[in-house]
Amino acid sequence: MATKPDISEVPDEKLVRRSQRGDMVSFEELLKRHRDKIFARAFSMMRNEEEATDLSQEAWVKGWQRLKQFHGDSSFVTWMTRIVINLCLDQLRKHKRQRAESIEHLEEDLGGVERQMPTVTVNPTEGLERSELRARIDKALGQLSHEHRTVLILHEFEDLEYKEIAKRMQCSIGTVMSRLFYARRKMAVLMAGWKREQQS
Amino acid sequence: MATLVEQDVEARALAAELRMTHGFLAGNEPEVKLPESVDFHWSKIRREIERQEAAGVGREDRGVYWLAAARRFLAPLSGVALVAFVSVVSLNLFNAGKVDDPTRQLVETESLSEHVGSISYKSQAENMFVVYLYDKDSGVSDADVEAEPIDDMVIQ
Repeated sequence: MATKPDISEVPDEKLVRRSQRGDMVSFEELLKRHRDKIFARAFSMMRNEEEATDLSQEAWVKGWQRLKQFHGDSSFVTWMTRIVINLCLDQLRKHKRQRAESIEHLEEDLGGVERQMPTVTVNPTEGLERSELRARIDKALGQLSHEHRTVLILHEFEDLEYKEIAKRMQCSIGTVMSRLFYARRKMAVLMAGWKREQQS
Repeated sequence: MATLVEQDVEARALAAELRMTHGFLAGNEPEVKLPESVDFHWSKIRREIERQEAAGVGREDRGVYWLAAARRFLAPLSGVALVAFVSVVSLNLFNAGKVDDPTRQLVETESLSEHVGSISYKSQAENMFVVYLYDKDSGVSDADVEAEPIDDMVIQ
């Protein structure tokens, strides 16, 4: 008699099909495999562990409820990531409504101080270990505004096109391009600053 | 654009900086781990799913999905149908007076200005309709106008 394969060896596609038929054990296995990726995306956008945990939890609940709409056009984890991104964007919009619009905020899209920053000519990541590089990128991301960080994450890490980012962020393509430009500039300047600190 | 960047030293440096930033970000996304155990995380999710299902929120079944899909398909279709309907009605209105009916201008011509007067001449034989416009404020009598129109305009 053939033994039933260990669930950890079953491919995602099969687990998704089983989950679509209501099998919660398969869905739990999908969560075990991708929980860190979903949480990491929520955390990268929110920069708050508690909020990111709640949003990733909400994403999994929505994922289960909408599983019938998943047709495999992308991978399951990409689909789940899109759900958590949308939840984070909704949450960021709520935050924004609660915040008073300050002058610095209005200037953000136009670059604010980033416009006057000197150009970085020497690669500030040279000689860094990968873990150190990632830690610095994380630190720099934490210093960007929500708008700049979100655009950077969606474009650089999620490979979304300007048009798609504009649609999700409910802004124009021009705004996306402008935010991306200044976000990259600020990242470069921050990284260069830490490099200088390290050398001195 | 590329030529412009190549010609300007500052723009060239800026482009290089942007490329460099893109380069060090690629494949170096910070790795973060869920700060709670998978069992605890799953138990919260499961409880929430069960709570919502009990409250009737539940899973979106196939019927709802097809209804949504049909709505997505029908919405643009109804838009196209509306545009087609409006186009047909407009064309009919436009063509209604186009048939050999020399009097149609009588319907279409209207003087909205109190300073401009008009005298018209219609010839059935020539299938022609002529309208002379004149300035009422110039003090010229109707008879003079007829003899020497100040601003001829032929509408045909």
